[in-house]
Amino acid sequence: MHHWLVVPIILFPLLWILRPTLRRKPTPRRSRSKSDPCRLAVFLGSGGHTSEALTLLSCLDFSRYYPRTYIISDGDAFSAQKAIALETSKAAGSAPQPTNTPYTIITIPRARRVHQTLLTTPFTAFRSLLACMYHVYLRPLITRIAFADILILNGPGTCLMLCLAAYLNRLLGVPSPRIIYVESFARVRTLSLSGKLLRLIVDRFVVQWPDLLRDGKRGECRGWLV
Amino acid sequence: MSDPEPPSNQPPATESSPTPGHVFVTVGSTRFDELVQAVLDAPVLGALRARGHSRLVVQCGNSEFDAGAFARAGEDWVRTAENGLEITVWRFKPSLEGEYEHAELVISHAGSGTILDVLRLGKPLIVVPNPSLLDNHQEELATALASLGHLKAATIAGLPEAIVSLADAKLVPFPPFNGSRFRELLDEEMGYLPSDSES
Repeated sequence: MHHWLVVPIILFPLLWILRPTLRRKPTPRRSRSKSDPCRLAVFLGSGGHTSEALTLLSCLDFSRYYPRTYIISDGDAFSAQKAIALETSKAAGSAPQPTNTPYTIITIPRARRVHQTLLTTPFTAFRSLLACMYHVYLRPLITRIAFADILILNGPGTCLMLCLAAYLNRLLGVPSPRIIYVESFARVRTLSLSGKLLRLIVDRFVVQWPDLLRDGKRGECRGWLV
Repeated sequence: MSDPEPPSNQPPATESSPTPGHVFVTVGSTRFDELVQAVLDAPVLGALRARGHSRLVVQCGNSEFDAGAFARAGEDWVRTAENGLEITVWRFKPSLEGEYEHAELVISHAGSGTILDVLRLGKPLIVVPNPSLLDNHQEELATALASLGHLKAATIAGLPEAIVSLADAKLVPFPPFNGSRFRELLDEEMGYLPSDSES
């Protein structure tokens, strides 16, 4: 059922071994002045994932977090529409933004399509990872414009590929976004599969129900965020 | 996949004008045959009538149900039950916001998007988790919110009783959306000083 996991399963031990290096955060926390913008990227994982991610973004100061990159899975028109709707409603209530292109929407292939045969899944997962590496590593190298300072993830599976791509940047010693994972409001007592895996490597792991942290492992809970 | 509205950056809605007697049932984008059939059967219809409801609207998604007794009206199935309850069934609409607003009572599958939308409108809600879902974390959410008193969780078989007992139960108001929690978390993570925050 989860054959696409082959790719992260191969890469996770590698990341695990290199964790001390990775935890030496390549973009150290520093204080930013009010006018110092932060480039933001968010993965919209379709359906409920998209709704929750956009609700999280809806409260941010967009004159501080720009430009914004919305990453959607191919064929997910719903998420693209909702991202545009959020941008439109935020723009209506604020001063013009200090850039002409405050946001972009980019598309990556899904790690695994619904009903996809198991045999081909490692290949689509790998193709998805390559697309993520293009956007996170290669394109910034060519254009000399950093991908993002912060990457917000909340599932499902395809977001693992983005996280891996960002970590490969760290291994290669090029700028990499800080990564924050927010578990869904729907997860009360058990973490999602994405949550279980990403908990090991993201910079900040946030849940919305305290029971999820009763095992004492890393993570934080500040109550409901959506 | 359940909420077609834009994210809630608008101020939290307070209870909006319901149409008297109006009940709305939704299964979101999923298929939930058992729930759709149960709300069209005599025990639930009887419970709704007993509580003074006069109109039942069912968003059935891709569910199968016994449509034999219904007449077609465009895309809708309609009929008047023996006890006088007027029933309308349809599959999908782009937005359910208006339906929630009309309703005095909402009965839904346990999708988290639907739950948030309905509770933020201040509507009484009965959720029925789908027992045939394999990874049923839906039930965890329904149970947790029910134990906090924000909604009622029911099984298919227990739905008529849940409808009857709901009117006497006091539901705890659901807190409004608090955007400052995530804003502060991210500002702190990215090094913005709290004093710089917008008021």
